[in-house]
Amino acid sequence: MADVVGAFGVPHTPVFPFFVERDGPECETAKLFARMRGEIEALRPDLIVMFDTDHLNTFFFDNLPILAIGTADMFQGPNDEVRGVPMRDLKSMGDVARHIHTHVVTAGFDVASLQKYTVDHSVVVPLHFMTPQFNVPVIPIFISGHLPPLPAARRAYAFGQAVRKAIESWPGKLRVVTMGSGSFSLEVWGPRIAPGRSDGVTDPAWVTRVCGLLEKGDIETLLNEATPEQMAKAGNVGGELLDWIAMLGTIDARPAKFITPQMQNGHAYAVWS
Amino acid sequence: MSIYNVNYLCRELLRDHAFRAAMKADPAAALKAYDLTDAERSALLAGEVGKLYELGANGFLLGYLCRFEVCGLNLDTYNSRIRAAAPGGH
Repeated sequence: MADVVGAFGVPHTPVFPFFVERDGPECETAKLFARMRGEIEALRPDLIVMFDTDHLNTFFFDNLPILAIGTADMFQGPNDEVRGVPMRDLKSMGDVARHIHTHVVTAGFDVASLQKYTVDHSVVVPLHFMTPQFNVPVIPIFISGHLPPLPAARRAYAFGQAVRKAIESWPGKLRVVTMGSGSFSLEVWGPRIAPGRSDGVTDPAWVTRVCGLLEKGDIETLLNEATPEQMAKAGNVGGELLDWIAMLGTIDARPAKFITPQMQNGHAYAVWS
Repeated sequence: MSIYNVNYLCRELLRDHAFRAAMKADPAAALKAYDLTDAERSALLAGEVGKLYELGANGFLLGYLCRFEVCGLNLDTYNSRIRAAAPGGH
């Protein structure tokens, strides 16, 4: 059977590849991602299952699923002109993805399927740093975390648990790493951006609170406190926390091995292994 | 529902490089093909992103008007105008 051998919470700020190229390996972001890369390489994964929220680049207002999974053997990204990261082919595992899809729909999660699609920075930027050879196949699973109505935190967690059961029922041997991609508090290009910037952390206290709960492994309190109102207060990408929450559903509740916030961006880097 | 068209053309700025160039050269002409209300068209041409947001346009997508510097927008003008808008869930 396949096993979830580790879980990661990662940021996906689209200018980070450019910043790291400009500022070198000693800058904070380079060092944090280098640590994450070391952690994922030590786990020798065969597959990454990434929970992600698209920024109206894979989907649009014509068709906006709450939950979706990429079921092709190959997809492309980033489709939103990420500086320093050209669009490229990205390997997936269509057979495993279709198995997960079938399993979670049978378990009561009405998930859309994408057979021909591209992804934006939110999938590719973490890979750019953590698997820079792009040699580990990735199955993206999309959760609507930006545009209300958002799915409930408990629903996202239960969805993660269903994805775990699906992975564990795959008959082949696979070492699987799951990821949650996103921020805890950030407004991007909306009215609550900071003066002089294109973004702003609207609720730094929430970032500290989420990090504290993850450090302790107190998922129950996190699920109680991650209400739609709280996520909206945390900015127009505050619902990306749902990607982390789904990721947490793929492992037993326990304290993070480490979690390091980057307060100026409202996000964090974390590992469960 | 023409706010859909405002959102759509903002994303076209990212995807369609000919449209991006046309919006930089002559926005009024580039927008002629789009079915917009008078309020949407005039707000777009004036770079009034706060007004467009209040009409229902999405923040990420309005950001492309600034990123690609069309309709007279740059980070300073974008920032002050969007910050003047009432926050909404879109």
